Amino acid sequence: SNSITELLGSLCDSSLTGVSWKRRALGGVSREGVRRTLRKRAYGALLSKLFQEGSPKRFLSVPSATSATPPRNKLLMISFDLRVAGCQDEAERLEEQLGRLSEGAASGLKELDSVLELLVQLTGSAPPPPASF
Amino acid sequence: MASSANANNMNAVRETMDVLLEISRLLNTGLDMESLSICVRLCEQGINPEALSSVIKELRKASDSLKASDN
Repeated sequence: SNSITELLGSLCDSSLTGVSWKRRALGGVSREGVRRTLRKRAYGALLSKLFQEGSPKRFLSVPSATSATPPRNKLLMISFDLRVAGCQDEAERLEEQLGRLSEGAASGLKELDSVLELLVQLTGSAPPPPASF
Repeated sequence: MASSANANNMNAVRETMDVLLEISRLLNTGLDMESLSICVRLCEQGINPEALSSVIKELRKASDSLKASDN
């Protein structure tokens, strides 16, 4: 299952983890209906980004002025921000992990920089983990 | 010979995925190993990472509102 359509479907399914289907079924909302709605929203987000950028080519990875900074450098900038914010341990761990990351084909991935760019784009997008006592 | 190269590549991918998951956790992206693997495969298919991040944020909004309506 490596086609874009199937992978987007899997992404929609994984985002439904934790949704209660029993109660929803009682309300007449089917799992399949929710899946369809999610897929529509996923394609909507993908296509709106495409038209915002003004060129259909932006659907696929094409360098632009905003993406001129290599993602590894962006991660080092995030690490600097973490240090400034007093999160020394996290900054050091981030730099250590970046150092462990092999370059190019040695990583086993063809698009490692795209994945790093995705992580940069999603930085801080989840609620912070609960504080441990 | 080919199978040994394959095994080496699988090990490299596994190691890279572990590092990516740790970076993802440090950055608080909210991706677990399953969704990260899907995203990696979408990137390998050439999907623009900025567009993909919009998709993920949109899906989170949708699933959060579903979960909120459960309560």
